[in-house]
Amino acid sequence: MRTKGWKKVFAFTFKQYVKTKSFIISTIIMAILVAAMFALVNILPVALSSKDSGDGDSSSVRDIFDFEKVYIVDETGIVTDENITELVNNGIKAERSDKSADDTVAMVAKTEGVQAAVVFSADKNANGNIVSYTERTFYSPNGNKMASALSAAMTEFFRTCNVKRLGIDLEAYAQSQITINTRTVEAGQEELNVFAGMLHYIIPMVLSLMLFMLIFVYGNTIAQSIAIEKTSRVMELLLTSVRPLAVVIGKVLAMGLVSLAQFVLIIVVGAGSMAITAPFGIMGQIAPLLSNSELLAGGMANAAAAGVDIDQFSIAQAIGGILEKFTPVNIILIVLTFIIGFLFFALLAALVGASVSRMEDLQAAMQPYSLVGVVGFFLAYYPIIFNAESLADGSAGTNSVQIFSYYFPISSPFSLPSAVILGQLDTMQSVIAVAILAVFTVLVAMLVSKVYEAIILHNGSRLKIGDMLKMAKNK
Amino acid sequence: MAISVNNIVKKYGEYTAVNGLSFELKEPGVFALLGTNGAGKTTSIRIILGMLAADKGEVLWDGKPFLACDKPIGYLAEERGLYPKFKVMDQLMYFMTLKGMTPDAAKKAIDYWFDRLEVNEHRNKRAEQLSKGNQQKIQLIAALAPNPELIILDEPLSGLDPVNAELFKSVIREEIKNNKYIIMSSHQMTTIEEFCRDIVILNHGEAVLQGNLNAIKKSYGRVKLTVKAEGDITGMAQQCGLTITEETPNGCSFNVQSEEQAHKLLNMIITSDIPLIKYELREPNLNELFIEKAGAKNEN
Repeated sequence: MRTKGWKKVFAFTFKQYVKTKSFIISTIIMAILVAAMFALVNILPVALSSKDSGDGDSSSVRDIFDFEKVYIVDETGIVTDENITELVNNGIKAERSDKSADDTVAMVAKTEGVQAAVVFSADKNANGNIVSYTERTFYSPNGNKMASALSAAMTEFFRTCNVKRLGIDLEAYAQSQITINTRTVEAGQEELNVFAGMLHYIIPMVLSLMLFMLIFVYGNTIAQSIAIEKTSRVMELLLTSVRPLAVVIGKVLAMGLVSLAQFVLIIVVGAGSMAITAPFGIMGQIAPLLSNSELLAGGMANAAAAGVDIDQFSIAQAIGGILEKFTPVNIILIVLTFIIGFLFFALLAALVGASVSRMEDLQAAMQPYSLVGVVGFFLAYYPIIFNAESLADGSAGTNSVQIFSYYFPISSPFSLPSAVILGQLDTMQSVIAVAILAVFTVLVAMLVSKVYEAIILHNGSRLKIGDMLKMAKNK
Repeated sequence: MAISVNNIVKKYGEYTAVNGLSFELKEPGVFALLGTNGAGKTTSIRIILGMLAADKGEVLWDGKPFLACDKPIGYLAEERGLYPKFKVMDQLMYFMTLKGMTPDAAKKAIDYWFDRLEVNEHRNKRAEQLSKGNQQKIQLIAALAPNPELIILDEPLSGLDPVNAELFKSVIREEIKNNKYIIMSSHQMTTIEEFCRDIVILNHGEAVLQGNLNAIKKSYGRVKLTVKAEGDITGMAQQCGLTITEETPNGCSFNVQSEEQAHKLLNMIITSDIPLIKYELREPNLNELFIEKAGAKNEN
């Protein structure tokens, strides 16, 4: 049998590779980075929002109060003395400047204290009509840390002055300014909230990048491993015990398992980090919502009525929608796509490794392999770059380039997993896409095994694709 | 057991690497596969091992086609090869298990050969930390530890110092005593002559001389004459129809047509009162046969 002995090659390759320093160090570094990243993603939003909503407010007010003098230069005629008095009554040490804007700014620039000059001006078009207003806050050298907060407060102050000047009721104005979210949804498609739209954008990006990295890192390692065996002439010794096909199968599968194990380990570390930091982060707030399927199904209005934070509910709803897609069939399809896709590229990498007789030639030999990977990756990435809106609103399933990327074997490993997760293909379409990939990979494996056996003992200049095929034909 | 190589042909495009090579190993002992660089020795070995497919001909084990990976064959390749970064013991265990040995049997065999080849202290080193000679010993262990019936040694002594070369020779002698079938390729003719019973000399892929070494030598007869005398014997040699082929401090060498020609020269030297230091009339050695056969074809 041509594959007899592959298990021994597999076991040796796996054991030796996981013992290498480079593997151990890179795994530890990646695990630490992923743990830190997951912890930050979890904790940071909560930390920032608490700063904004709690300490944030009081500190900005205190900062504004810390200005020893705020000179108001109003070139629009909108700010009245009463308005400035209100500011003073609110604790801001404001006064109208009797100098021009330039002189006031020059005066503030010279002061050693914490001062600011706030200039309101009107911008007019050619007909003399006002088209916009500008607020400029000039701070003294010691006042820079508070300037943004002051500028924001002064913009709001100016808007209020203008609203009052126009005789509009402040309460009515506030009501009219409530944010209106907009959504464009293709009829018949699932309606996504903002966060779900973001996930639909992020997941294809992350998954395709992840497989791309796996293919490149481990593809290089496989090619290197085969090339070392060939250039160090170990291959001749191996071939007295096993056939070349057994060597390539054992190696490719071992490296596949190494990569999968490393990948799973990193995911587990990330999930562990998320779980450990959950009580301090966004996941701790969302987890109870995720487990409440009744609440999630009830929609945003019900959630708001139940006193649930709308943002948290939106995130939970988006994540819940994605988790729903992880059915057993979909999980099998995703895992199959990853494994077959990896095998496809690993076989090509093995062929590249076998084509060189000197290690120095390997990088140059890897270029066509890299090109194939890049083409596949960019086909999968195309909608992310050129059609992001279709991902966010869930209509990407109708994009012809993206549909092509699902069924084209070179790109499907990159695009198919996210399509399955995001429900852009139904089960039958996904099965067909995986089947096409599998058939293509088997054909490539047959070709690679024939070429590999023909070239593995070739010594001399690096073989080009044409040379390899010719040798395989003559064998 | 018997190995038959029957009329094998291997071409690379227009270039013929091996052209109709045939030989047989019917009895244990050493068979020499000789030839200049590029003569087709390594290609022939790779065909015997099934690493390369012959365009024509066949290689039979007990009369049947075989796969080298299914037969007890030990191979020491001309191009030395070990995993540079892996520990010696780990890779030897790997090679043994690929040969179908159990881990216990493999360890026992490896331990024996570590002692026999005096490399015990290197077992846990990485291959790249070993000298070239010690790496060669590890590869010999890889070839011999599975106790193969057929051993193929491609340039086994190249690059070894005299002490280690002698160690390797003693191992080869042991294997001969143990009734192993050995195919040896080497450019060191004295070594080949020391061990080999049968030879084939390849030149440009074709066998130019083949058979039992002693019989080949006998067929040539005693045609190599070496004479060392204290005076000039050039004139006498010319009178006998002899031309000096080589002149060294050890004397003058001649190719003689018949033993009578040599005896005539000897009588002339004796009667001339020139003191004779050395007179040797012998069969050609393997080196001379090799140069004659391989060299002549190269000149063509």
